[in-house]
Amino acid sequence: MRRTLSGVAVAAIVLGLAVAGWAAESTLEKINRTGVFTIGTRTASPPFGYINKQNELVGFSIDLAELVHRSLEKKLGKAIKLEKKESTPATRIPLLSSGTVDLIAGTMTDTRPRRDSVDFSMTFFVTGAQFLVKEGSPIRGIQDLAGKRVGAQQGSTNERAIRERVPQAQLVVFPDQAAGFTALVQGRVDTYTNDGIQLWGLKFKAPNPNEWKVVGDFYTYEPYGMAMRKNDSDFRAVVNNALMEAIEDGEYFKIYDKWFGPKTDTPYPLSDSAKSFLLMQVVPK
Amino acid sequence: MSFDWGVIATNWKFLIVQGLLGFGSFSGGTLRLAIPAIILGFLLGVIIGLCRLAHRPWIHYPAVVYVEFFRGVPLVMVIFWFWFLIPQITGQHPPEYTVALTAFVVFEAAYLGEIVRAGIQSVPRGQVEAATAGGLSYGQTTFYVILPQAIRNMIPSLVTQFIVLFKDTSLASIIGMMDLTKAAQTVSQREIRPFEMYLFIAVVYWIFTYSMSRFSQWLEIKMSPERAPTRRAALREAARAAAA
Amino acid sequence: MPLTAFLGIQYDFRWNILWTGEYGHWLLQGIWMTIRLSALSWLFASFLGILAGALRTVPFAPLRALAVFYVEFFRNVPLLVWLFFWYFGAPQMLPRVAQDWLNVHGPEFWSAVVGLSVYHGARMSEVIRAGIQSIPKTLLEASVATGLSVGQSYRLIIVPIALRLIVPPATNESLNLLKNSSLALTIGVAELTFMSRQIETYTAKAFEALTAGTLIYLVLCLGISATMAYVERQFRIPGLIARVGRAEH
Repeated sequence: MRRTLSGVAVAAIVLGLAVAGWAAESTLEKINRTGVFTIGTRTASPPFGYINKQNELVGFSIDLAELVHRSLEKKLGKAIKLEKKESTPATRIPLLSSGTVDLIAGTMTDTRPRRDSVDFSMTFFVTGAQFLVKEGSPIRGIQDLAGKRVGAQQGSTNERAIRERVPQAQLVVFPDQAAGFTALVQGRVDTYTNDGIQLWGLKFKAPNPNEWKVVGDFYTYEPYGMAMRKNDSDFRAVVNNALMEAIEDGEYFKIYDKWFGPKTDTPYPLSDSAKSFLLMQVVPK
Repeated sequence: MSFDWGVIATNWKFLIVQGLLGFGSFSGGTLRLAIPAIILGFLLGVIIGLCRLAHRPWIHYPAVVYVEFFRGVPLVMVIFWFWFLIPQITGQHPPEYTVALTAFVVFEAAYLGEIVRAGIQSVPRGQVEAATAGGLSYGQTTFYVILPQAIRNMIPSLVTQFIVLFKDTSLASIIGMMDLTKAAQTVSQREIRPFEMYLFIAVVYWIFTYSMSRFSQWLEIKMSPERAPTRRAALREAARAAAA
Repeated sequence: MPLTAFLGIQYDFRWNILWTGEYGHWLLQGIWMTIRLSALSWLFASFLGILAGALRTVPFAPLRALAVFYVEFFRNVPLLVWLFFWYFGAPQMLPRVAQDWLNVHGPEFWSAVVGLSVYHGARMSEVIRAGIQSIPKTLLEASVATGLSVGQSYRLIIVPIALRLIVPPATNESLNLLKNSSLALTIGVAELTFMSRQIETYTAKAFEALTAGTLIYLVLCLGISATMAYVERQFRIPGLIARVGRAEH
């Protein structure tokens, strides 16, 4: 009994050490080996990534990740399975660095401190942080926050910005958007802050959109990028090429129209400056 | 203040088939997590319990450290640890179901190990002596004489801990596993119906755990009818005595 | 660190983040919040537990039924579900004025206190009930015979003795309460586990942040266990062999 126990222990250690040697491989090698491409995406941030009324996980960022997926299959020359995992601002960098996901395709803002931990693709969306309030609320923007209860997500750029710039506000931090938005609905917080486009998504997907309004000038600049592990330029090239091709041949704008077009729940026309910014990121073939 | 109970009916399939049972496009399922966790947790718990009773210090002390460690930290912490560490150390990237399962098994084994230990220690020493005198080896004594009797003693506490484990599966929702709690969260956030949603899953959980605890009482009586504490009889007695 | 390099783990340890800058301060805030939350909930839970535990053993059926309903309903549902219910769902039932008052006075903290107190009150009541039931019935008969009412007997004699008997399982339940306080992070309470995660999101140093949190919980739990073991020895009732039964779920 004791002998078998120690035998099992030794085997486990040896196995663990052997497997640990696999830790340092590039993303393309890993996808090729496992045949699975895992993305981390949002589950409560319409229309980037959310669970719709049919209880399916869909969204703008997910569709863009699909483009990357197709590109990967072409590059590796075989069928690859696409897996979607939930990631939140607090969990996405650890999920990425631990290898649990290969690409974060959600609502992640490209910032310089974050570039210490991860690499970003080209910017695929531009927005800024604003506030979501109930119709009739006195809050008009970041200037009205003193003493008010502000909801935010743990790990988001908005949470950090409010903490640093408006210390007089009472910040209430939730682990995810679902909790934060419900808290706003129930009146537990006076306002909920996030990137403007996400707030529009929440407003329009709410049972009664007219109850909510998005207020305030952009108090931060939020360029969205897809995040991946550092020092993985081959994979990064695949992602960027997929996005650039989509912008070039118009596929990106079709997808944009599908989620933000005039006929959708969350109409958000592409500004001229945003459009030229996207086009200018496409470097020549 | 109005209630919309229809939201339960509309999302019934998602809540029960995906959330509770675990069949659907998301990785998850309360039962899919609870049942293997109970089985594996029990097996590991038996090992830990036996290790704690071992005489060799190099088996005994690690087991003690294991039990004291996992009984001194919250399960949420353990789940976060496994979530970060498993991929770092092994280089493998398991789905959140596997992470949650591993965390539960390792955590619950500490508690189950204590129950196993208490069960084994409640078997009279004379049994071990008689078995050794009869010529059985340590392994044979443990397997054929001690464990069967110990398990009979342990059953109530074991089922109690299994019920705790079943309830703890709700914590897997924190790392994104689509169990019953997360399914309710998702629907509640979309439809803004927290009261109806959470009350509904409270009832579902209640049905399961209450059934398990009634089953445990039945099992107790079935296994040792001569020792069954009949609480109703004791209460009746107290009532009669106090009224007299 | 050679060992980690050998195991193939690429990680840059930086333990000083825990005490430089504001992160150490956050940890302290988290510890204080955990202690406040746990202590307050423990007081309410103990009160509810004693009340319900005693009620379950009285010879008066409707009170017994009430206690049974309370215990069986609240302890069979996961605590996480209760926290969501009390924070998101229950306040809807209050009148508008009460809701507004609550929203300004830290609803996260109070919902967590209510959730923890009610849930652990149900669990404590089982421990206390087991304690009361392990006391021989003759004690109740004797005290009634001397002229005390049933209520007085419980208050003055039975419950105090039961409390001395149940120190080990009660300590167990109290530690469970302390550990369960970590669930409050899901409704926005900035307790210790929340702060560990917060440090991690700002510094990306998961290992250090989680280790800090884990060690603190261990110290708290082992400290409380050791203290209660001492208390048990001091207040042990000599001559009474009755060892109170298994912990209920």
